[in-house]
Amino acid sequence: MKKVSLSTSSPIGFAIAAVCILGAIGLGVYVSRQDGAYPSSDSGSIDAEVVHMASTVGGRLIALPVHVNQAVKKGDLLYRLDPEPYELAVRQAEANLALAAAEVENQKRLLAVKTANAAVAQDQTTRAQTNHDLAARTVERLKPLAGHAYIPWQQYDQARVALNDAAVSLAQSHQQASAAQIAIGDLKSSLAAQQAAQAMLDQARYALRQTTVIAPTDGYVTSLRVKEGEILAPSQVLFTLVANDTWYASANIREITLHAIAPGDCATVYSMIDRHTPLHGHVESIGWGVASLDSAGLARGLPLVPREMDWVHVAQRFPVRIRLDPADPRLLRLGATATVEIRHGEACH
Amino acid sequence: MLRSFIRPTSICSTLLLGGCAVQGAPSFALVGAYFPDWMLCGMIGIAVAVTLRVVFVLTGVDALLSLRLFTYLSLGVITALLAWLIWFGP
Repeated sequence: MKKVSLSTSSPIGFAIAAVCILGAIGLGVYVSRQDGAYPSSDSGSIDAEVVHMASTVGGRLIALPVHVNQAVKKGDLLYRLDPEPYELAVRQAEANLALAAAEVENQKRLLAVKTANAAVAQDQTTRAQTNHDLAARTVERLKPLAGHAYIPWQQYDQARVALNDAAVSLAQSHQQASAAQIAIGDLKSSLAAQQAAQAMLDQARYALRQTTVIAPTDGYVTSLRVKEGEILAPSQVLFTLVANDTWYASANIREITLHAIAPGDCATVYSMIDRHTPLHGHVESIGWGVASLDSAGLARGLPLVPREMDWVHVAQRFPVRIRLDPADPRLLRLGATATVEIRHGEACH
Repeated sequence: MLRSFIRPTSICSTLLLGGCAVQGAPSFALVGAYFPDWMLCGMIGIAVAVTLRVVFVLTGVDALLSLRLFTYLSLGVITALLAWLIWFGP
C-alpha cells in the first residue's frame, strides 16, 4: 500500500487549507446571522382555547345528547340537569310574589280606611271648635246677667263648666286628628316586599334556565367520561370543550432572536400530524412573562437565591402565539407538536 | 457584464437546487421521535468529508494538501452549512 505523507508543506496545500478554513468561518457567520434573523422552533405546539363546561347550578344529569370527541356547533344543547327542583322553586317564588301583591292591595285598602278616619277626625275638630266657640259666647253672655243676679249663679257655673268641657274636647280632637294623620302611613314597605318577591322569582327563573347548558362556541367535546344519572355539584366541570373557531400555534423562541419577531409577521407552521402540509399564520403576540427558577420568590419572605458560579447561562425562551388561518381540521389537535418558521418557510413566500 | 454572468448562474442554481428542496417541516420523524434539520446537515457534512478524504487519497490530490485535519473539517463544515442554507434556509 502506498504510504501517504502527513507532513507535506507545499504552498498550494496551505493556500487550499486557508481558503477552506476562511470559507467555513465566513459561511458559519452568515448562517448564524440568517438563523438569528429568521427564527424558528421545532418544539412548538398546536393550541386552542378551551371552555370547561359546567353549570352554575347542581343536580342530576338527565339528558346528555353529546358524546366524547363530537363536534358541536354554537347553540347546540350539550346537557340538561333535572329541572324539577328549580321549577318548584319558581312556583314557590311565584306564590310569594302573589302573596306580596295581595299584601300591597291589603295595604291600599287599609290606607283608604285610615285616610277616611283622618278626615273624620278633622271634622270632629271643626265640631269641637264650634262647640267651644258657642260655650265661650254663652259664658260671655251670662257673665253680666249673673253679676246683676238676673239669672241664678248655678246657670252661670254650668255654662263655665260647659266651656271647660268644650276646651278639653277641642284639645283632644286636635290630638286625635294629628294622630290619625300620622297613622295613614304609606305603601313603601309592602311595595318593597313585592319587589323583593319579584327579584326572588327572577332568580329562581334564572336558576331554572341554568339547568340547560348550550355550546358557547363551535368546538369539540373532550374528556367526557360520564353518562346520564351523574349528580353534579354547582360549577362542577362535566367536560372540556375545545373551541374550534380559532386555532393557534405556540412556539418558544429564545430571547436573543425575539427582536426579529413582531406581531403581524407571517409564519409557516407544520403540524407534525402531517409534516408535508404547511399552515399559514401570523404572529399575534409574544408572551410578556415566564416563571423563572432563579427568582423563585415566595409571596412572603425572602427571595430564594441559590449559591452558584455558572459561567454559561442558557437563553430564556418566551412563548410566541401564532394565529393560524383556517386549515384542514385533521391537522389541528390541541397539543400536537408543531414546527414554526417565522418570516420564512413554504407559506410565507 | 457582471450582471449578465450572475443571472444565468442564479437561474441555473435555482433549477438545480429546486429539485432537491426538502418539502415539509424541518424536523424528521424517526422511530417515534423528531430529529432536527441541523442534525441531518451535520451527518451529511461528516459523510462528505469522509468521502472527499477517500476520493482525494485515491486520486492523489491528498498529497498536495497540508493541514489536512483542518482542511477536511472545513470542507465538512462548508458542506453542512450549504446543505442547511439550500434546504432549510430562509
